Amino acid sequence: MAAQRPPYQRLGDVAFSKVEKVNAELFTLTYGAVVVQLLKDSEDVEQTSIQLEKMGYNIGVRIIDEFLAKANAGTCTDFKETGEVIAKVAFRMFLGVTVDCRHVVEPNAPADAMPAFHLIIVDNPLVDFVELPEHCSTLAYCNLLCGVVRGALEMVGMRVETKLLKDTLWGDEHTEISVSLKELVHEQYRDDDE
Amino acid sequence: MSGGRLLSLYINNRSGGLIYQRNLSPAAAKLRDNDQLTVASMLSSLALILQELAPTSGSRPMSSLEANGFVLCSYDVPTGLKLVMLAEPGTQGLELLLKAIHALYADYALKNPFYELDMPIKCDKFDERLTRLLHDFTR
Amino acid sequence: MAGLRTRKLNIVDRALGKGRQEVVSQSAFAHLFSEFVQYSQARSITASELERRLEDAGVGIGVRILELASLRDGKTRRETRMLGILQYVHTTIWKALFGKSADALEKVVENEDEFMISEQEPLVNQYISVPAHLPNLNCAAFAAGIIRGALESAGFPAAVQAHTVAADAGGSRTVFLIKFAPEVLARERSLASA
Repeated sequence: MAAQRPPYQRLGDVAFSKVEKVNAELFTLTYGAVVVQLLKDSEDVEQTSIQLEKMGYNIGVRIIDEFLAKANAGTCTDFKETGEVIAKVAFRMFLGVTVDCRHVVEPNAPADAMPAFHLIIVDNPLVDFVELPEHCSTLAYCNLLCGVVRGALEMVGMRVETKLLKDTLWGDEHTEISVSLKELVHEQYRDDDE
Repeated sequence: MSGGRLLSLYINNRSGGLIYQRNLSPAAAKLRDNDQLTVASMLSSLALILQELAPTSGSRPMSSLEANGFVLCSYDVPTGLKLVMLAEPGTQGLELLLKAIHALYADYALKNPFYELDMPIKCDKFDERLTRLLHDFTR
Repeated sequence: MAGLRTRKLNIVDRALGKGRQEVVSQSAFAHLFSEFVQYSQARSITASELERRLEDAGVGIGVRILELASLRDGKTRRETRMLGILQYVHTTIWKALFGKSADALEKVVENEDEFMISEQEPLVNQYISVPAHLPNLNCAAFAAGIIRGALESAGFPAAVQAHTVAADAGGSRTVFLIKFAPEVLARERSLASA
């Protein structure tokens, strides 16, 4: 184990120490109320999961600016670094949690396969005191987080696919989100006439 | 905090469209609304040209241009947002100021449910906080 | 309320909580709330409808926060008087959610069943600038719902409305007008004369 905290961890801690805080319960309970409302409006568990991801996406495309303005994380050289920054700086800064980033190499994947990583969240504030009743046991309750990551990355030129793989509400030991890079969108400056 | 005077602020969205403009000094050129839009998109193009001409490779988010009557400092956010400040020659601290304005945008425009992304910024609190920030800067 | 329920808070669980988050960034809440307002607005035609949706979403939160707060301070005696429960809401409940007591609690002189809790700037409104064409819209209707939920759950049904009021020093503040149901007033009178 390293004697020093790795640099991203420290960046995350510094960023979190500077932001204004609110009681986690306000956040957790508000999220619960949002999920309940979505379920009420759609009466469909699958649709609610999709809607949560969409809401997350809408948040992601906005919250990225604050991250860029306040986190001082610099530019990432590769997707692996992107995963580290999201896990150690972004999640820490906004949710106060320490998140692990595990890089994934699919067995038998072709050499030019697009990179991916998994985010592993142990003390997820979204799920505090929550239990999924029988009729929504398949709800992707934490799908908002998947959308946030997708929206934020899209705003900085990375089109990704995210998926909620595991959740404590499903009986798993932690929340796990997969993030796979699909396309890099280069902001090339083109003539307006094009 | 600085010498010199601020002249005007432009904020462009991802497509180079003007979403915020404020003249900060009576000395700022008084442009009609249409002209402001034209100037704003010209600033976007100008910044690109600056980057093309730059001797070193790789884009920096900040660039400055000095001309006879003014200095122009431009901050390009990786999301495509662009903030441009025109000031009198010799004005210091513009980079930090633009970063602070970006942070205000992140708070009082982006956290406002009534603000639509890429649209003109019409948020009272953004205006108020910006006024305060600029006032503190020029003191 | 359809959908979720929260697990009854177990004191033992709480003590064993492995690094459960006490706080999150205000940004996380602000973005979540902003997205919920937008979601609600898309399903509302009038400003009143939007406020009602926000208020209804807050009710469940009021119920749960009362539960959590009561367990935490080991209250064995329930409040029986209007002033008692209002003081509990405007100090303990407010602190649990918003980190501070509300600015003021006042009695409406003309009406026995009306009180006002004021807040210079409700936390939920911190980053919100109401558009010019909706001057009376107040997203703190959400907090009004929280108050209503807490009061109802404590046995004091009431109507609660968030009003935007001109502040003495210019600008505006929010006043939550609380009107207790007739049965509460009746009970209050009989307790007072006992």
